[in-house]
Amino acid sequence: MSEKTLDAELVKQAQKGKLHAFELLVNRYQQKVSNVVSKFVKDIHENQDVTQEVFIKVFRALPNFRGDSSFYTWIYRIAVNTSKNHLVAKSRRIQNSNVEPSDAENFASAADYRSLDTPDAVYARGELEQAMSKAVESLPEELKSAILLREVDGLSYDEIAEQMKCPIGTVRSRIFRARDAIDAALKPLLSENTKRTAYVR
Amino acid sequence: MSDKSNQNISELIDGELDKNSSEFLLKRLMSDKTLSESWNNYHLIRSFLQKENQAPLLHNMGQSVIAELKGKSISQDMTTSKSSRLLKPFMGSAIAASVAIMAVFMFQSNTINHDNTILAETAANSFKTSDQLITPPAAYTARVEQPIYNTRYPSITPQIQQYLTDRNAHFSDNLPRYYNAEYLNQLKKRKTIDNTAE
Repeated sequence: MSEKTLDAELVKQAQKGKLHAFELLVNRYQQKVSNVVSKFVKDIHENQDVTQEVFIKVFRALPNFRGDSSFYTWIYRIAVNTSKNHLVAKSRRIQNSNVEPSDAENFASAADYRSLDTPDAVYARGELEQAMSKAVESLPEELKSAILLREVDGLSYDEIAEQMKCPIGTVRSRIFRARDAIDAALKPLLSENTKRTAYVR
Repeated sequence: MSDKSNQNISELIDGELDKNSSEFLLKRLMSDKTLSESWNNYHLIRSFLQKENQAPLLHNMGQSVIAELKGKSISQDMTTSKSSRLLKPFMGSAIAASVAIMAVFMFQSNTINHDNTILAETAANSFKTSDQLITPPAAYTARVEQPIYNTRYPSITPQIQQYLTDRNAHFSDNLPRYYNAEYLNQLKKRKTIDNTAE
């Protein structure tokens, strides 16, 4: 099943009202959408809010999705429009509020203070990224190449097999083992993070 | 959960798993929490590797989106039920008002079509004539020539006369009686003449 068919199947299930299928779709496209939003919205916290808003709009518009274009092309358009609307609304809000000249002067340089993230969340995110970076670095060379060719260069398994001069079965195994190794490094942090979030909430 | 299942998920997210296995695995993903956790973690790894400079690293946003959607649908339901509860008394009075307006409108359109003399009599006596009660505005009326004193109801057709006579005979006194304003006026006049003669 190609990635496009997989998306189409998940969309079909979500259109039938299966929220779990939509959850899988969100987790599949969250980063791509966030990357699009980040081109318009620079603030990290706002980015998360806008990304979430994009998916809520996507869910509401799901009955209208006919599958003429790919799911990603469709949500890409929604992400761009939502980001632009957010910027317009924000500029209106800024015009209507009384900003002190001193605050305006410090606005650009005070990104750390603007973020509404708790120090815990910032630390956890940083810790997660560090752990992942370390796990990728410590992978055996053939696993690292396989996962990077797949995730960064976007090559298919056939193309990777050709490039690495190995059977496709080996590529399947290498990519999985790479993911499994990084996942093993993440799991303790993720469970700790979940506990922390649950405590904060 | 076996390594085989995890490998299948890894292949599924890359679109490299065969159709039958993909469909089967998707069904399991919908119900198996451990499998969907692997789906999320493998996508988190993808997110990290594909992350652009400005974008934050996102993990399991699906959960918060679903919570938000559920919350919104519940709050929407609540607001609609609240507003409908608030609107209920107004809806009742609105219906009553519209019925009253319709009644006034119909009464006016009915009276416009009638003869001025009958209108004047009706207004004077505050009674509805037999024409008003029986004849619909668009109906075709046939005039029946009759000697005026041969009947109790001189201005209406013999069939209607018969009907009114039967109905009045049938009902007891405490029920409303069908009468004719013209006849009533004549009775009043006769009584006044008799009184003055005495």
